[in-house]
Amino acid sequence: MKSKKAPYFFIAPAIILLLMFSIFPILIALLISFTDMSLAGLADYSRIEFLGLQNYQNILQDNVFIQSITNTLFYVLFGVPLVILFSLTIAILINMGKTKYFSFMRVVFYSPSITNIVAVAIVWAFLFNPSESIGLINQMLSTVGIQPIGWLTNTDVSKFSLVILAVWRGIGINMLIFSAALQNIPKTMYEAAELDGATKWEQIWHITIPQLKFSTSFVTITTIIGWLQFFEEPFVMTDGGPLNSTMSVALFIYRNGFQNNQFGYAAAGSLLLFVVIIAATMIQLRLQRRGQN
Amino acid sequence: MVKMNKLVCGTASLLSMSLLAACGNGGDGGDEGASEGGSDTLSVWVMGDGNESVQPIFDAYTEETGVEVNLQSIPWSAVHDRLLTAVASGEGPDVVQMGSTYMAEFIDAGALMDISEYIESEEALSPDNFFEGNVATTMFEDNYYAVPWYTETRALYYRTDLLEEVGYPEGPSTWDELYDAAVQLSERGDNMYGFDINLQEQTFGPMFAMQNGSDVITEDNTAVMNEPEFVEAIEYLHSFAEAGASPMQDLGIEISQSFGGEGIVPMFISGPWSITAIEDQTTDIEGEWDIRTLPEGPVSNVSNTGGANLAVWEGSDNPDQAIDLIEHIVSTESLLTYYDTTSSLPALMSAWEEEPFQDEKVAVFGEQLENSEHMPLIVGWDRVSKAYLSSFEQIMVGGADIQDTLDNLNQEVQSIIE
Amino acid sequence: MINISKKLKITIGAVLGLWGLVTVIPFLWMILSAFKTNAEIVSTQPNLFPSEWTLANFAELFQRLNFDVYLVNTAIITLLGFVGLFLNAMAGFAFAHYDFKFKNFLFILVLATMMIPGQVTMIPVYLLLNQMGLTNTYLGIVLPGLTGAFGIFLFRQFFSSISEEFFEAARLDGASDFYVFFRVALPLSKPIIAVQGILTFIAGWNSFLWPLIIANDQSFYTLSVGLQLLQGQHATNFALQMAGAAFMVVPILIIFIIFQKYILSGFNISGGK
Repeated sequence: MKSKKAPYFFIAPAIILLLMFSIFPILIALLISFTDMSLAGLADYSRIEFLGLQNYQNILQDNVFIQSITNTLFYVLFGVPLVILFSLTIAILINMGKTKYFSFMRVVFYSPSITNIVAVAIVWAFLFNPSESIGLINQMLSTVGIQPIGWLTNTDVSKFSLVILAVWRGIGINMLIFSAALQNIPKTMYEAAELDGATKWEQIWHITIPQLKFSTSFVTITTIIGWLQFFEEPFVMTDGGPLNSTMSVALFIYRNGFQNNQFGYAAAGSLLLFVVIIAATMIQLRLQRRGQN
Repeated sequence: MVKMNKLVCGTASLLSMSLLAACGNGGDGGDEGASEGGSDTLSVWVMGDGNESVQPIFDAYTEETGVEVNLQSIPWSAVHDRLLTAVASGEGPDVVQMGSTYMAEFIDAGALMDISEYIESEEALSPDNFFEGNVATTMFEDNYYAVPWYTETRALYYRTDLLEEVGYPEGPSTWDELYDAAVQLSERGDNMYGFDINLQEQTFGPMFAMQNGSDVITEDNTAVMNEPEFVEAIEYLHSFAEAGASPMQDLGIEISQSFGGEGIVPMFISGPWSITAIEDQTTDIEGEWDIRTLPEGPVSNVSNTGGANLAVWEGSDNPDQAIDLIEHIVSTESLLTYYDTTSSLPALMSAWEEEPFQDEKVAVFGEQLENSEHMPLIVGWDRVSKAYLSSFEQIMVGGADIQDTLDNLNQEVQSIIE
Repeated sequence: MINISKKLKITIGAVLGLWGLVTVIPFLWMILSAFKTNAEIVSTQPNLFPSEWTLANFAELFQRLNFDVYLVNTAIITLLGFVGLFLNAMAGFAFAHYDFKFKNFLFILVLATMMIPGQVTMIPVYLLLNQMGLTNTYLGIVLPGLTGAFGIFLFRQFFSSISEEFFEAARLDGASDFYVFFRVALPLSKPIIAVQGILTFIAGWNSFLWPLIIANDQSFYTLSVGLQLLQGQHATNFALQMAGAAFMVVPILIIFIIFQKYILSGFNISGGK
């Protein structure tokens, strides 16, 4: 018999830790977002002033914040489908072979995820370099007669460059999750399909994909959340430039709040982002539930 | 309505205070970690790899006095985070290295101890001993909060071989000469430039404006970043880009790639740290480059002072000993060791008589320091400089109207100051 | 497992090989740069392979890192991180296979924690740890990141895909809930434990912020903090950074190759129906 108390024992440690180190700080951030909390306020609470919704009003009128929102939507729109599609494709392809070579390929595709961000920044700065003699990508393009592209310096291109970089980094972990999930599909299902004369493509489409529904929904939700918080790539590559063309919401919050010590303003931005992410997740979960029914 | 606001305000601040205070200053017990062992141990925070840069200086101090120094190095990338948490909990070290641009904000937050009485009583710490530009960063409202440690200023790096070809073997000495040389150099071919207009350096434009007589921010805290003096300086810088004498975008290359070889960008403004970078990485142009003081603008050739100070953290258990350690660190002998390990230039003027600072290239910075000022020392300077950078980028890269953009900038800066 | 012909297998192998080559270039670049001089890295004609191989970067790295101290700290923090992995697994199991009050609410709460940027929570978390007297302890360094929504969510999804019948059988034999979790659920979830294990290892191995902020002296620093210390204020020694990054990635690669075996050990072999 299932014990009534057991689930509480199971979740208690994790929930308590999350309450302490995540939920409690979020509530504090909510309070701070109504104040003018600065470095001085941090040291001496009597210097904090209550501003009401002022921070929210100001940030919604901040052109750079608005631009960072459209940029972030761009990242999500292009990045999320690409990451999911590529990582799923690679996981399925690798899973088709059982040899050492295919296992080795898993290491290869995981390598970007474990490359230190500092090294990533240095290497990609060289790859994306606008000069033909230094930038490897432009060097290759020039052999087929394409003019050098300002990957990180052209305001029309810079967003795409960061998407390329982030997709490259993001494939590894999701491929791994799909790989693990693929092991859970009973062999017998394929054998039965084969006997019924299903093609490889039909097997993938009618067995593999539906069987991966739990991992797909996991990957979709975490990837959307991750891309809504897009931060590291613009932070190390462009610092949001040129002309704010790569500025993301998370980077905006960091720059305005934590580098400039305007914690109230930053908290307001974070809370807005928080609401958007919650909404996106709820919609996603609801869509999946509807799909299942 | 007013009543309602007050009520909400009261409850919210009470709530936040109680939540925060519940975990705020944990009382006296908290300080133990930072300076354990009482008077025989001092804790010191140093930025960057302290084992390499300052440990020998501390070892000498321990040998001399028997006082242990507990060094904690903070990576440059995380300095702000670490200082923030220290301010929040009130638990800092005894002695802390403070970048000159951080001073105003951390003093305002009450994080640093007022050490005026020591400055007045200790001969070695007298403000007269240090470069004026650096002393200015330690003083707020007539009180002293730190002692200048090392200093930085900017000078002009140039390729002697290339500058000779265009008629300036000693490098350009005025704004006009700089422009002329840069334009001539850019005529060497496609993707060749003369002078680097720095789009990432927060002090670049304001420094040129000061050379044109602008105050940037006046003493009574009025922003004047749209006055003719400032506007003209930005127009002057913009003219380089217009003439193709300066790259309109970040080339994304290192000094060795832009300055070495055929010299894509044969003139740039930088601090003393670039000497080492060129010597180590750009071996192909040995003997073909030099440094000179900045070209004279319409009013002056004033440069920008930076660097770091040493301060005592508010709440240190042992300020007397902390001051004693600071005196040791800013002694000529320690400063020489520090120059050895980090190539940082002493803010102590008398140290400049020592041999390493007689080096021809280093001495240029000594000369420039006599005409070098710090950027306005206001609490929100970090925000001001970021606002400037974004406006400057709009002008240089985005082609925005100069006067309009600077009008907007000035308005924004004024609101930051207030 | 889909059965495929030899010809198709070779085609797929070739496609993966090409794609993989493009993917792995930056990684290779990093490794190879670690053996170059800094002057070569920033030269005007960069090459993938070093023109002159050097070990000087590694020599400097080991000389300047307080290697023994940092390595021990990093190892301790990484090991403690694995406690969190089991807490995540337990919570994920409960969310997948039990019904209890506020289950949906609590799960949304868990997900919500994933959505706030870390910088927002840093100061309150620090003050909390400070108040608990956990500064200058390993516990203080590890606690903030011990459990995470990502892990709980991943386990929950994985356990959801396992049919309830597996556990019913054990329960009918009179097994307790804990027995079912430890002896039935965990062994079934080897692939996902391996994935989570790799992530836990990487997170611990690279931990930077909390060791720095919680520590009041350098004896609690990790390798990551040590590496960051090597970065100067103005000048960057790329070669040294690359050597550091290359050195840090080796243990991760080893762990990955070991764990990969378990990712591939599906449960259908032991318990397929």
